[in-house]
Amino acid sequence: YNFTYPFSSSISTANGSALVKIGNTTVICGIKGELTCPPSDAPNKGYIVPNVDLPPLCSSRFRPGPPSEQAQVASQFIADVIDSSNVIQKEDLCIEKGKLSWVLYCDIICLDYDGNLLDTCVVALLAALKNARLPEVTINKETDLAEVNTDKLHHLNVSKHPVSSSFSIFDNTIVIVDPTVEEETLSTAMMTVVTDEDDRLCMLHKPGGSALSGEKLQDCISRAVTRHREVSKLIEKVMDSFEPDK
Amino acid sequence: MRDGPNTHVGSMMDVAVSPVLALRKFGCEQSLLSRPDGSSSFVQGDTSVLAGVYGPAEVKISKEIYDRATLEVMIQPKVGLSGVRERAQEHCVRQTCEAALLSTLHPRSSLSLILQIIHDDGSLLSCCLNAACMALMDAGLPMSCLFCGVTCAIEQDGHIVTDPTSQQEKESRALMTFAIDSAERRVMMSSTRGSFSVNELQQCVALSQRASEEIFQFYRDSVRRRYSKTL
Amino acid sequence: MPWKNAHVFSPSTFYVDRVCYTKILPQETPGNCIMRGIVTTLDMFECFKDKVGEVLLPGDVFSFELVPLDNKADKVICGPGLRRNGDEVLVCKSGILRHKPPNLYWIDSIQKRYVPAKGESVIGIVTVKSGDVFKVDVGGSEQASLSYLAFEGATKRNRPNVQVGDLVYAQFTIANKDMEPELVCIDSCGRANGMGVFGADGLLFKVSLGLVRRLLAPQSDIVKDLEKTFPFEMVVGMNGRVWVRARTAQQTLIVANLLESCENMTTQQRQALFRRVADRVT
Repeated sequence: YNFTYPFSSSISTANGSALVKIGNTTVICGIKGELTCPPSDAPNKGYIVPNVDLPPLCSSRFRPGPPSEQAQVASQFIADVIDSSNVIQKEDLCIEKGKLSWVLYCDIICLDYDGNLLDTCVVALLAALKNARLPEVTINKETDLAEVNTDKLHHLNVSKHPVSSSFSIFDNTIVIVDPTVEEETLSTAMMTVVTDEDDRLCMLHKPGGSALSGEKLQDCISRAVTRHREVSKLIEKVMDSFEPDK
Repeated sequence: MRDGPNTHVGSMMDVAVSPVLALRKFGCEQSLLSRPDGSSSFVQGDTSVLAGVYGPAEVKISKEIYDRATLEVMIQPKVGLSGVRERAQEHCVRQTCEAALLSTLHPRSSLSLILQIIHDDGSLLSCCLNAACMALMDAGLPMSCLFCGVTCAIEQDGHIVTDPTSQQEKESRALMTFAIDSAERRVMMSSTRGSFSVNELQQCVALSQRASEEIFQFYRDSVRRRYSKTL
Repeated sequence: MPWKNAHVFSPSTFYVDRVCYTKILPQETPGNCIMRGIVTTLDMFECFKDKVGEVLLPGDVFSFELVPLDNKADKVICGPGLRRNGDEVLVCKSGILRHKPPNLYWIDSIQKRYVPAKGESVIGIVTVKSGDVFKVDVGGSEQASLSYLAFEGATKRNRPNVQVGDLVYAQFTIANKDMEPELVCIDSCGRANGMGVFGADGLLFKVSLGLVRRLLAPQSDIVKDLEKTFPFEMVVGMNGRVWVRARTAQQTLIVANLLESCENMTTQQRQALFRRVADRVT
């Protein structure tokens, strides 16, 4: 195990933010809320739009230009985690049915890439969502316009706490938890398990690579469950120390 | 021979003890395109995917890998341009193919696999995997084992459906796609949606492994049909 | 004519003395076909024999116990599509298991893409002339190089007359996965032996590698049937390229079309078609 150090930081322009460091991997997540019309097929829901950016700054393997395949895969992974785990009930983001809802832009930027990107991103996202505060919005009945009350800020209702655990697999024999970039490149397969606090699985993501037997799979899942406890305790602790005024 | 036809597990035998293994009708055709070095179309119910493989061919210097072949996977959706979702699926298919292929036998060359979605009626990723495997086999690329894709959906009441249609996918609580290898029936790839318990996962893996027997038998039959003229 | 001794098939001259089926077999895919003798007992022969003529898929495994034997004759030679993996033999291509006595086994598969192998004769197209070497496209993953000295009678003074776009019939002297493939147009005695630049007119087209092997097999049925129609010349490269020339352009096209259609036909269908064409022409 590498040790996890989540820090909540304050990006003043964002509604919520978090900087998380696992080993050397450093990721910053900013959440920005904007008002928009809800989707026509689900008028009582809001949107969450995650985006993972891997700038050339974080590792020499990334070049400037359009997002690399890895960044796109990571973005899709985060979007899937949000959908599967129900970390935020999208209904909570709706302000007025069919008229107004929040869209949360979750921008995750990697500052230092040393493997285990997905785990770090999920922790950063969760910490930032817990840290985020949105102003109260009401719709003026007469003018039919939204009024934003910036004095009244309230936290998001984070209903689930997904935590992901990545494993590097070497030919169905050795399994390394929380791999570094070197271990990732040498391994024959990667696997990421996302669990929530009820020990249910939200995601079992294994993008190919060497095959894994059922017993090893079970082994990884039980490790992920243990790790979930450790990580969520840590997040809890940091959150409490950061906001004593609450 | 480890993989004789008598190891094939029929779905009827196990109905009483575990969820029903009901796969839709498959269809497959190999070398239907003239330009690619290997091609196949795979049909599962109404879901249909066309695959083409080019290679081993000349590789761009920037993408050259000195000890193995560079594999590129492209998934073309039925309408519009491919987006982030396709990129994630490409990533899964690519890594699965890389594990099955003996790409060290063709270093400094490129393999490209193009998957064109003809129609999506559920279990799309598994259909892509099956089409990819048949196309790679058709191209005569050296492989250490075969793989197949199986999709399982868990319905609201906990019932497990294999090879769901898109309607069943929409109504399901969780959806999982696995790639199973032909050598030891182990899980090569897994991609899931929705939340589920560990027990449900194990059930789905076991079910997919049983479904894979049927698919591998189908592979064998369709390749046999293809070579029947030259036997 | 330079191609006189090559695979020039016309009703009167029919040479397949140089490249015969067995010679080319263990070389189709480099790496697959290293003549690694697998030391074994008779069990293994039994194990293979049961499956000869059957369709096998990648991932199928033959396993048996290894017993060291000194007798060379008992070793099994694995051709294309079979790989030794510890004490088992792994099938890595789909196709039919074939056997040639006494102990040669391989997988006969339908394939389109060519992979260079040492000793095979191919038809290449000269693409670049640079300094001492020509670059030749043979349909593989890399262009092959052909030295200008590797022609009959060529010296530093007396350069062969080869232009970009010319067809050459040449043989691989170096072909493995880690090196640039190299061609020559002379045999070990320095004679052209049918190789060199050819094909001033005529038609070049591609067929599958399986069909090429069938064409090159000694006493090939297809060639026998085809030569009953009308006289023509043909050069067949192991890389799937076939060049034909008949008396008229029309006849050349007929031959090319007939050969392409052989790909997916049973013997009866083919003979019926050839007979119909022969009647039409004469």
